[in-house]
Amino acid sequence: MNLRSVYKIPDGKLLKISLDYNERNNSIESINITGDFFAHPEEAIEILEDKLKDARFDRLFLRNKIDSIIKENNLELIGLNVEGLTHGIMLCKP
Amino acid sequence: MNEKWRLLITKDRTAYNNMAIDWAVLKASSNGEVQPTVRFYTWKPSAISIGYFQSLDEEIDLNKCKKHGVDYVRRITGGGAVYHEHELTYSIVIPENHPQISKNIMESYGCICGAVIKGLSQLGIESKYAPINDIIVNGKKISGNAQTRKSKTVLQHGTVLIDVNVEKMFSLLKVPNEKIRDKMISDVKQRLISIKHLLGKDVSFDEVANTMKKGFEEEFNIELVEGSLTEKEIEDAEIFEKEYFSSKEWNHKK
Repeated sequence: MNLRSVYKIPDGKLLKISLDYNERNNSIESINITGDFFAHPEEAIEILEDKLKDARFDRLFLRNKIDSIIKENNLELIGLNVEGLTHGIMLCKP
Repeated sequence: MNEKWRLLITKDRTAYNNMAIDWAVLKASSNGEVQPTVRFYTWKPSAISIGYFQSLDEEIDLNKCKKHGVDYVRRITGGGAVYHEHELTYSIVIPENHPQISKNIMESYGCICGAVIKGLSQLGIESKYAPINDIIVNGKKISGNAQTRKSKTVLQHGTVLIDVNVEKMFSLLKVPNEKIRDKMISDVKQRLISIKHLLGKDVSFDEVANTMKKGFEEEFNIELVEGSLTEKEIEDAEIFEKEYFSSKEWNHKK
């Protein structure tokens, strides 16, 4: 099932999420993170998308996973943050 | 004596070529082959650039662009969709460890935007930096800016609106709901402002380029010396244009 959300990050940019949801496992099959935010290095968003494949669709789990991926890859987000990204993804949940 | 940086003025290039040149200069700078470089440029045909993380299909009405002969391209920088028509676009490429550039990305936005602000003040326009990436006059946006850092080199490019045609811009951008298109146009008209509107007269690209040159020189305490792209930069730009910016794969990446 394809799910989408559009979320304006408070004091930040517009985040658009499109993801394929696996209802059977309550997990994310694939995710596309788009928007007018900034991320340094830019390629790290692709790493983030890749590492969120098969992730459990659960707010706390996603928050911790995103936080650790960002730290591991020294990703600097501007106009976007861990809370906002987690919330944007959770807004997709049916 | 002031440090000398290179100034490039490249008018009327395609969107693909413009984005390829910025990347080629970044590559040359990261290899230590060129001085810090400031470029002022225009787009022909007019074009929409989208941010690295945006989806072309979601942001732009591609059929309308084709109908109006407007090009479209994905940038290597983040940020939003920009319609490039009556504007001066600038880019600055400088090593990340240059003493004039802060390691802190937001501080460096403020500093580079300071050059544009000083340029505008040469025209008698008082503006200020509005984080994250805008320059505003009386609360209205006159300039948008986007930065990337690759291979220990900073590239920031941005626009300075000489004139603005919000109706045309919106005819090319997708809106979430056609019913609110008119409302969005009137909202954006309230939020954007151009040099022409502020000064009440037409101002040429050359005039704006001249004032921006002074703005960069003043902000960075340097002398900008007009030069040209190196042969290697031209070669690299051709490669980047072909392999990235004019390719469907790159532009439809998201």
